[in-house]
Amino acid sequence: MDAWLDWARGPAFVFSFVFLLLGLLRHVALTAWEVAHVWRRAGDRKLPLGKLLRATLLWLVPFTRLRHRFWFGLTSLVFHVCILVVPVFLAGHVALWARGLGLSWPAIPNAVADALTLLAVVTAVLLLGQRVFSRATRSLSRVQDFALPPLVAVPFATGFLMMHPGWNPFDFQATFFVHVMSANLLFVLTPLTKLSHMILMPSTQLVAELAWHWPVDSGSAVGRALGKEGEPV
Amino acid sequence: MAQQSGRYSYYEETRALEVTDRPRKFLEAFAAVLEHSSYGIALDAYARVGAKCSRCAASCQLYQATGDPRDIPCRRSELLLRVYRRYFTYGGMLRARLFADFALDDAAIDRMAEEFYRCTACRRCKLTCPFGVDHGLVTHLARYLLAEVGVVPKALVVSVREQLAGVGNTSGIPAAALRDTCEFLHDELQETYGADVPFPIDVEGAEHVFFPAVSDYLLEPDTLMGNAAVMHVTGGSWTIGTGNFDGINYGLFYSDRMMERICKRVGAEVRRLKGRKVLVGECGHATRSAWLLPNFLGADAPPAVAFLQYTYRALAAGKIPLKREKIAERLTYHDPCNLARAGRITEEPREILQAISAEYVEMTPNRSENYCCGGGGGTVSIDEIRAFRTRKMGKAKADQIRATGAKLVVAPCANCKKQLKEVCEDNGLEDVRVVGLHDLLLKCIDFGAAGGKGKE
Repeated sequence: MDAWLDWARGPAFVFSFVFLLLGLLRHVALTAWEVAHVWRRAGDRKLPLGKLLRATLLWLVPFTRLRHRFWFGLTSLVFHVCILVVPVFLAGHVALWARGLGLSWPAIPNAVADALTLLAVVTAVLLLGQRVFSRATRSLSRVQDFALPPLVAVPFATGFLMMHPGWNPFDFQATFFVHVMSANLLFVLTPLTKLSHMILMPSTQLVAELAWHWPVDSGSAVGRALGKEGEPV
Repeated sequence: MAQQSGRYSYYEETRALEVTDRPRKFLEAFAAVLEHSSYGIALDAYARVGAKCSRCAASCQLYQATGDPRDIPCRRSELLLRVYRRYFTYGGMLRARLFADFALDDAAIDRMAEEFYRCTACRRCKLTCPFGVDHGLVTHLARYLLAEVGVVPKALVVSVREQLAGVGNTSGIPAAALRDTCEFLHDELQETYGADVPFPIDVEGAEHVFFPAVSDYLLEPDTLMGNAAVMHVTGGSWTIGTGNFDGINYGLFYSDRMMERICKRVGAEVRRLKGRKVLVGECGHATRSAWLLPNFLGADAPPAVAFLQYTYRALAAGKIPLKREKIAERLTYHDPCNLARAGRITEEPREILQAISAEYVEMTPNRSENYCCGGGGGTVSIDEIRAFRTRKMGKAKADQIRATGAKLVVAPCANCKKQLKEVCEDNGLEDVRVVGLHDLLLKCIDFGAAGGKGKE
């Protein structure tokens, strides 16, 4: 078991984390390239930058955006806060980064981390519940939409059990292994699934606006490409 | 199709036997459009991030009215996004080879044709999408591609044909009839208000060249008289061009190729008359098309001025003298989606109305969160679907109007006006009148104080 755990915490983690970083970097690079490409060709280069910035910030910090679907919005918001704060600011994780790369930042108290961890698991279950029991949402959902919330909950549930060995009915090493491997799996999945929104989110408002800015003569260029220039209306 | 022959019935796959060229043509058009326009950047992002949270369902008035899951914006957009993913991304191509994934066939095209014309492209859902997915843009693009395989509502094509290959405007009004109409409106103003309000035609070098929805010349003379009166009392420099006096651009609803040709005709007329600005009458989609002019004409396109903005500025500068008595009836304002959704024109009409009305009330929701009249995206011109438009799509609007108790609804948009009149008729609101903003303003202008020879 120790060998497996060492593998999960060593090469498997390094691979998944590098995959995550490179994958996200690819998204950023592609988006930046596309934005530059579209803007360079556009006939109209005036963008409502103030409005775009405002919309982007409103959605990045969506506390004011809860009116429609209030309970869903609130669950989603709490879920996101928890899953962002705990992995980054848990004392145990901070210590790992300090040991591995010599980087260090303040940690949150373990009691707070416990509460947020439980909230993360509860909200993940609620999100899945809302997806399953709301007719509209269910009819839209793909496999990844059902699978991701429980998958995200796994590292949090196992992490909680590791912090409280007295309550853990399973073997500590096994729990540890599942904890690390489920996180590794999520790192790999992030650039490949809708989880990529963690990096694409800030660009979506800009992208939606830019898509309305076409090159001059785009219509006739399409007509030429399709051999329809002379065609009657 | 189930067939009955003797004892045994069997099922015949007629669709499978029918081979048409449409899927191939659709994909060819898709490829060409992706290459020569900018839609790719949005499709690429939407195909990657879409969270399928269905928050858009809570804001879509079509889904609220029908309760049919196919009307959820995110689900509708998926019809096009899956084509994009399958044929234009590596992941999709790989998936298709591994799992016999979705393939574009005639049935898929028919489904898109149906669903993308149920949506009015009002873009209300964009405001509630965490990722800002612009389902209106997806609808716009899908209709463009459908048009390239010959799927367009007849009403839209007929109008555009008249404009591009016929008389030169969507209502088929010849230049001579335009002159007559303007003369008539001039006389009408003289008779009713005692004011000598000119309708300048083909004046070279005017600052503004006027492009109303051309149907106003037939259906909304009061709006036009109001427009002319405002230009008169403010001393504005403007002209109507006989070469092209139609602001309508149904290309916006189904084809960028047509939209470009119509926009270029607008640009050509402004150049011919050596004008400087495009002054758009009371019309939502005409205003939005005019805002898109630089897309087609480049950076030196003439700037577009919406009439509401012109009037508001003039009023704020004290250039429009108003009578003391205001409109007594309770009135409310409908925000046309194409003006208000992106927050571009919301306050100007309210300021004007508050200046001329004794009892102005808001409908809720309003401004950028307004409900569509129900006839957006060109669907208002399709008479065959009136029952769907007014009773389903228009129901939210009818309820809103009823809740205000107003007997006057101001809608500065030719399409909204037609639709709202029908919505009121079909929803038991016969006593509600739908009018343009300049119709009312006209009644309140003090021509005497303006230095004209007013009766009063």
